[in-house]
Amino acid sequence: MSQSTCSEPNQTVPVGCGSNPDSLSWPFGGSCHDTEFLHKVLAALKRHEAFLEEIERASSTGGFIWRAATGQMTCTGEVYRIFELDVTVPVTLQLLGTRVHPDDVSLIHDMIQRAQALANEFEYELRLRLSSQIVKYLLLSARRSEDVGDEAQYIGTIQDVTQRRVSEEALGNMRSDLARVARVSSLGILTASIAHEVNQPLSGIMTNASTCLEMLAADPPDIDGARETARRTIRDGERACEVIARLRALFGKRAGRTESVDLNAATRDVIALALSELQRRHVMLRTEFAEELPVVTGDRVQLQQVILNLLMNAAEAMSGVEDRQRLLLICTEPHSGGDWVRLRVQDAGVGFAPTDATRLFEPFYTTKSGGMGIGLSVSRSIIESHRGRLWAEPNAGPGATFVFAMPARETVGTRGPAKRAAIGPQDNALPSMRTA
Amino acid sequence: MPDASLIAIVDDDVSMRQSLPDLVERFGFAVRVFASAEEFLASDCVGQTKCLILDVALPGMSGPDLQRELSRRGQKIPIVFITGQANEDLRRQLLEEGAVECLFKPFKPTALLKALNTALGVD
Repeated sequence: MSQSTCSEPNQTVPVGCGSNPDSLSWPFGGSCHDTEFLHKVLAALKRHEAFLEEIERASSTGGFIWRAATGQMTCTGEVYRIFELDVTVPVTLQLLGTRVHPDDVSLIHDMIQRAQALANEFEYELRLRLSSQIVKYLLLSARRSEDVGDEAQYIGTIQDVTQRRVSEEALGNMRSDLARVARVSSLGILTASIAHEVNQPLSGIMTNASTCLEMLAADPPDIDGARETARRTIRDGERACEVIARLRALFGKRAGRTESVDLNAATRDVIALALSELQRRHVMLRTEFAEELPVVTGDRVQLQQVILNLLMNAAEAMSGVEDRQRLLLICTEPHSGGDWVRLRVQDAGVGFAPTDATRLFEPFYTTKSGGMGIGLSVSRSIIESHRGRLWAEPNAGPGATFVFAMPARETVGTRGPAKRAAIGPQDNALPSMRTA
Repeated sequence: MPDASLIAIVDDDVSMRQSLPDLVERFGFAVRVFASAEEFLASDCVGQTKCLILDVALPGMSGPDLQRELSRRGQKIPIVFITGQANEDLRRQLLEEGAVECLFKPFKPTALLKALNTALGVD
């Protein structure tokens, strides 16, 4: 991989603008008679060159000059290394193009077209496919410099971002693995609740059908009554189907997708599944849903996982509470003039120590004996992958509040952190810390 | 024919509140229905109820809470628990505390009739 030839003497050294003879001409004019001084200057230049090369290597970033009309290029050593080219070969864009991944060749054509249209700057992410079946991810950016005659000339950089991309992919895979584990473990927690939800309508079906038969067997048969109980049987059957459909939507295997999500409706579905589990734990649930809540964009099921996780955490935090009501409040609200949407889950549980406010979200941090401690860290990574934020606040009274904020759909696609500052925990007047 | 014995049903689930009364009436009993334990306690039929069909998981005061409250008040109403959670430990505990029966939903109508007859001391 390493291009040791670059630093060996007496070779074409493609560092700086080294391959362009003009650029090495004596810059002070006239001739220099002081050879000692000349040696000093050359030594300084070499040191400077070596320094630049170190920087290039360390940052995996090479530089180039591109004359758009001819395709002729002058490149630094790192570009040769990235493209795995022999340093003695004259570089053209056409030559570099032969190394580009077939799916990304169109980007090179696009770049040529933009140069013909005299674009001032451009940036591309493209992949290389090298002979060794190695794929590299590059970030290429350039801007137009002084034109040479009629020719547009661009100066730019090419950065090898393969490591970063590979890590991002690994991180993404790990996140979905963890999310799956979290889903399965919440399925375990909810099993009793789900059985309860299905058993209710089943019970109705059996009771109604029996009553219906009794009514038909009576003398004279109660036809109207039988009709009514048959109707109820159907309705209960539909209700059981709805529970199953909800379960399938929440726990079935599926690929991630992006859609418009109404957080109010998504939260109601989660509550419907968790309600009897909350009841079993003597949790009083109160909801305050904002009317006309802006929709958000994202993966509905992932967001429901986060909501479910926050609900279960809140219930868990209150499991030992006996001296006060186990009140759980869920509310949704528009924020920052409707550019953001917030969801808050407030409990009256044990709360957390101020020092734990950030540790709560670390993977495998748990206060539960049977907990895996992945819920909150996965929840946070899900919210962050939706360009949102998730944080915890202590309550003025007992307990804690977990909040996530997400951009409303209308603002998705606008760039920059302009409105970010307004959504963090810092704009909440933090009440005095109290934990049990 | 003597007046039909009054059976009170307490269940927060609407399917049960609609379907059970018709069935219990078919068995020949009089029926009153309540959505919560508090509602039942506040009603005028606590003293007349011959048997209580009581859901375990209720919002607010739970079924077992109501059982204890009635016992504290000295109201000896036979109780048939019904629950959507098939938990044998819970069932054993409720029976130990004096419940006549604890049926897991969905239960057979004949099982309910049998429990009601036991509660009312009918064979």
